[in-house]
Amino acid sequence: MYAIPNDEIIILNKKTINKRTFIHLLFYLCKKNRMRIRDIDKEKLVIENAIDQIVQDGFQGFSMNKLAKACNISVATLYIYYKDKDDLILKIGGTIALDFFTNTVKDFSPEMSFEEGLWKQWENRSLFALKNPKEVAFFEIIKHSPYGEAILNSSTKFSDFRTSMHQFIENALRNNELVPMTFEVFWAIAYGPLYTLLNFHKEGKSMGGKPFILTNKMIREAFQAAIKALKP
Amino acid sequence: METNLNTIHIFKTDIGEKNPDCPMHITLDNHSDIQQWSIDYEDVDCVLRVVSEVLKPNEIIGIVNEFGYQCQELP
Repeated sequence: MYAIPNDEIIILNKKTINKRTFIHLLFYLCKKNRMRIRDIDKEKLVIENAIDQIVQDGFQGFSMNKLAKACNISVATLYIYYKDKDDLILKIGGTIALDFFTNTVKDFSPEMSFEEGLWKQWENRSLFALKNPKEVAFFEIIKHSPYGEAILNSSTKFSDFRTSMHQFIENALRNNELVPMTFEVFWAIAYGPLYTLLNFHKEGKSMGGKPFILTNKMIREAFQAAIKALKP
Repeated sequence: METNLNTIHIFKTDIGEKNPDCPMHITLDNHSDIQQWSIDYEDVDCVLRVVSEVLKPNEIIGIVNEFGYQCQELP
């Protein structure tokens, strides 16, 4: 039980206290009693700054101390949420991966026709990349590091995603909607064009520094070319 | 289940060496009041993180000091 000063009880009883005041009061009491409560805003700030720092300086330049400073919080607070640097990278990477996979399979089914399913993937993947450029840059960095493997093996949700993608390809092959080819070659043709265009867009320029803005028409154009290469 | 944040204790130490066979390691591993513990060896402060519903920061400091290491609660 917390000792709430009398005047504040009166305010509470008359129901004149608003939500903001209540939260301030709660924080005040927790601080006074050395109680810790989960602060979602603070957690969000930590995640944002960690992504920024890792995208900018890579893993080597990143430290818990630097991150705490950037967030204007104590190092101890950071360690409340994360055991160490690896734990932090794995947790943030896992959240982003889950967000990415959830968005990628939105309204998608491996039972869709190959063209329809692949287009849905293109739509979902481009929407996610355009909405979350920093998260995508962060995931690109960790994808090929030991963290990437650890994250993908950390949840059955990720293996479900892989299974669904494999099922989609197998169905397309069985239905004669896809030319049999090496998996990596398939991936490069199926998604490579989209990611190249998304990268140009992120940079704001294409070959030779030519200014570039990606349009839906271009995505369609590239998709048609990719489908032409993949279909028998 | 999510860990109650008030059961997590954070300390600055000088435990620089990672050695699972050292007596302190074994003591912390086998302590019935410690649910979880870890040290960030990469950090300059070799931050020790202990999850315990029972132990107070001073008691944890005492355990670590017994093995000849410095230990100070981080604010």
